Amino acid sequence: MPYTSPDNYFEHFTAGDRYEHVRGRTVSNVDNLWLTLTTLNTAQGHFNLDYIHRASGGLFTERLVMGGATLAIVIGLTAEDMSENALADLGLTGVRLPAPVYRGDTLYAHSEVVELSDAGDRPDAGVMTYRFTGRKGDGTVVVEGTRRVLLKRFSHWAERDGHVAEPEETA
Amino acid sequence: MATVRRERGLYFEDFEVGRRFDHHWGRTLTAQDGIAFSTVTMNFNPLYFDAEYARRLGHEDVVINPLLVYAVVLGLSVEDLSEAGGPFLGLDDLCFPAEAHPGDTIRARSVVLDRRTSKSRPGWGVVEWRTTGYDQRGRVVCEYRRRNLSRLRHHEESR
Repeated sequence: MPYTSPDNYFEHFTAGDRYEHVRGRTVSNVDNLWLTLTTLNTAQGHFNLDYIHRASGGLFTERLVMGGATLAIVIGLTAEDMSENALADLGLTGVRLPAPVYRGDTLYAHSEVVELSDAGDRPDAGVMTYRFTGRKGDGTVVVEGTRRVLLKRFSHWAERDGHVAEPEETA
Repeated sequence: MATVRRERGLYFEDFEVGRRFDHHWGRTLTAQDGIAFSTVTMNFNPLYFDAEYARRLGHEDVVINPLLVYAVVLGLSVEDLSEAGGPFLGLDDLCFPAEAHPGDTIRARSVVLDRRTSKSRPGWGVVEWRTTGYDQRGRVVCEYRRRNLSRLRHHEESR
C-alpha cells in the first residue's frame, strides 16, 4: 500500500511547469478564529467585530482573516500536488497579501515551478522552489509568495514508499 | 478600589532601530496541535499528521508543521509589535533551521531592523522587524523579516 502519490517526487517536476490546483476552500470565521487564537495572536481585527467597525471608520464590515491563516490555507491547497513527498519545508519568501480575505470567500491556488536543484548532502532528495498564488473566485489575488521544499527522489524512495519501480525502458 | 484599563500594543515611535523585544509567553506544541493545523489547512504531507510515516523517515513522532510554528511565533510577537498597528505588508526570508516536535515549547524575540514614516498615509509609518522563534533548548526553529504599517502615537489622522 503506497504511503504517498507516485507522481510528485523531485524527478516529476520541471522548471516552468504550471499547476492549477483543483480544490478550492471556502474560509469560515471558525477557521479564522481558531487559527488566530490557537496561535495566541492578539490583533483584534481578526476576532472583534465591533473593534474592526470602529478602527476602520466603518470601512471594514467584517473581521479580517488573519494573514497567516490565508497563507496556510493557500499553501494547503497546493500541498498534495507540490509537497506531499517533501522531507522538509525549507522556507518561504516574498510573501505578500495584496487584498483582504473575509469569511465566505472561496480561495483557489495555482503554482509555477521556479527552480530545481540538488540537495547537497542528500543524494536521495532535491530542492524544489515554486511560486504560489492564492486568489478568490473572482480572480482577486489574496496571497502570493515563493516556497522551497526538500523533495524525495523517486529513484531512492519509490520502493520504500510502496510504489512499483518504473520499468526499465527497453531499447 | 481602582479601575484598571491596560492599553495593549506599541506605536511607531516605540520602534527605535535596534530595539529588542523578548515577547511574552511560550506555547507548547502538541502532536494534536500539529495534526489539527495540518488537516484543517489541507496540508497533505503525511509527515505532519501520520506518526508511523514520520517514524519511517527517521523522526520519533510527527513533525510539527512549520507553518504552525511560524503562525505561533508571529502570534507571540503581536502584542509588542503589531496589535496597535495596521496592515501586514510583507514577509521575507522565512526559514526553519530546526524542526519542532511534539512537546517543544516555542518562544519568540524580535529586533527592529528599519522604520520610516509613510508619505502616502499621514499618521502611519512602515516598520520592519526580524523575529526569531526558538525552543526550550534554545534551538532556532523559525526566523523571518516582517513589515507592517504602524500607527503614529497621538496622530489624529491615524485614529
